[in-house]
Amino acid sequence: MTLAAAEHEVAGWAEAIETYFERGWTDGLPVVPATAEAVRRFLEAAGRRPDDVVLRESTRRRTITAEKIAINAVMAGCRPEYMPVLLAALEAMADPAFTLHGAITSTGGSATLLVVNGPIRTRLGFNAGGNVFGPGWRANATLGRAIRLITLNCLGALPGLLDRSTQGHPGKYTFCIAELEEESPWEPLHVARGLPREASAVTVFAAEGPHNVLSHYGETAEAIVVAIADTMACLGSFSPGESFVVLAPEHVQILARDGWTRARLREALYAGARRTVADLKRGGKLPGAVEAGDEARWVHRGRGPDDIHLVVAGGGAGGHSAFIPSWSRERNSLAVTREIRA
Amino acid sequence: MTIRILDPTVSAEESAGVAIAKRVADLDGKVLGLLHNGKVNGDHLLELVREQLGARYRLREVVVIRKPSASRVADESDLDRLARECDAVVTAIGD
Repeated sequence: MTLAAAEHEVAGWAEAIETYFERGWTDGLPVVPATAEAVRRFLEAAGRRPDDVVLRESTRRRTITAEKIAINAVMAGCRPEYMPVLLAALEAMADPAFTLHGAITSTGGSATLLVVNGPIRTRLGFNAGGNVFGPGWRANATLGRAIRLITLNCLGALPGLLDRSTQGHPGKYTFCIAELEEESPWEPLHVARGLPREASAVTVFAAEGPHNVLSHYGETAEAIVVAIADTMACLGSFSPGESFVVLAPEHVQILARDGWTRARLREALYAGARRTVADLKRGGKLPGAVEAGDEARWVHRGRGPDDIHLVVAGGGAGGHSAFIPSWSRERNSLAVTREIRA
Repeated sequence: MTIRILDPTVSAEESAGVAIAKRVADLDGKVLGLLHNGKVNGDHLLELVREQLGARYRLREVVVIRKPSASRVADESDLDRLARECDAVVTAIGD
């Protein structure tokens, strides 16, 4: 297997790690040195040739081959068997609906949220339980990181150059969760998005950071819906964009106990996540002064219940769910799901 | 022991076959295109450009196109129309 990437000889592993920093090839953390031997193992695990084109981005005029993907996956600390998940995520990001160029450039500072579904979650050791957005699991941490390294090294989204995020958010280092399908009373995300249950899939979403929804004391579905809808209606993130709602097992158990279906929850959240035109004007979300009637005119988050994507994840104890707003303020970037062929 | 590491970067490809548009000496009797990229206030900026150029030259016509979204590249059909109908095009971001 012949590789095309330029090679750089360095004195040893420690020097290699410093070389990555000096050349501006890291996310600010040390990376695993990518040797030809390691990269070949990753390509073999993926069943891909080095020159297979995985992604083309026309605005930045980049063509990214499987070899470059493998190099960055090694650097991120992935295992070779993660490659099919990474390739599926990149195929999803290449879908025009995702608007890759805008999503990785914008002042809005999005990160790519990955949600993994299906049997591959347990096979590769993804965390869907406690501390799901936090550290401690190699599959979650390194896959999300590989996406960022590819965004930096292959798409040129360097901060201050082709990444103009005003602030960005911590998910730009890594932002990968799996769904705790076993704790869900409903169909999982990939089934809701049209794939068979036995399939494995990854969903990508250009996202802001998670907003915590703490609701401990109501212990009814209604109380949980009020708290989530209120968080979704926050002015800072208010837009017609899509939403991810990551439900804690405790919350979803109460919803199921009270007889709520997935569809009913989406409808209730859409109905509740709304603001008056007066509020939107006072908060600088709409231009102009508040006029007669604006206090009684309502605008909802998103365009309808289908814009709310539900996922179950998190630890067994604690009434903490999360609302993750779209980066897109309008309809410029939508969630995309791809089957993982492994 | 020395090791050899692989370059993880991808460079932008040269844009083949795209030359800079022919320059125009002035805009008298010419068609001016204005492409608003969809950001807030880009339209106001372009309106000022139209006023200033209109005061300096006898523009034959002004073609105004607004991209539906600042995050997406302009539609091929819009770019084709600007190329076909206009002698010069000004584009602006707002914010």
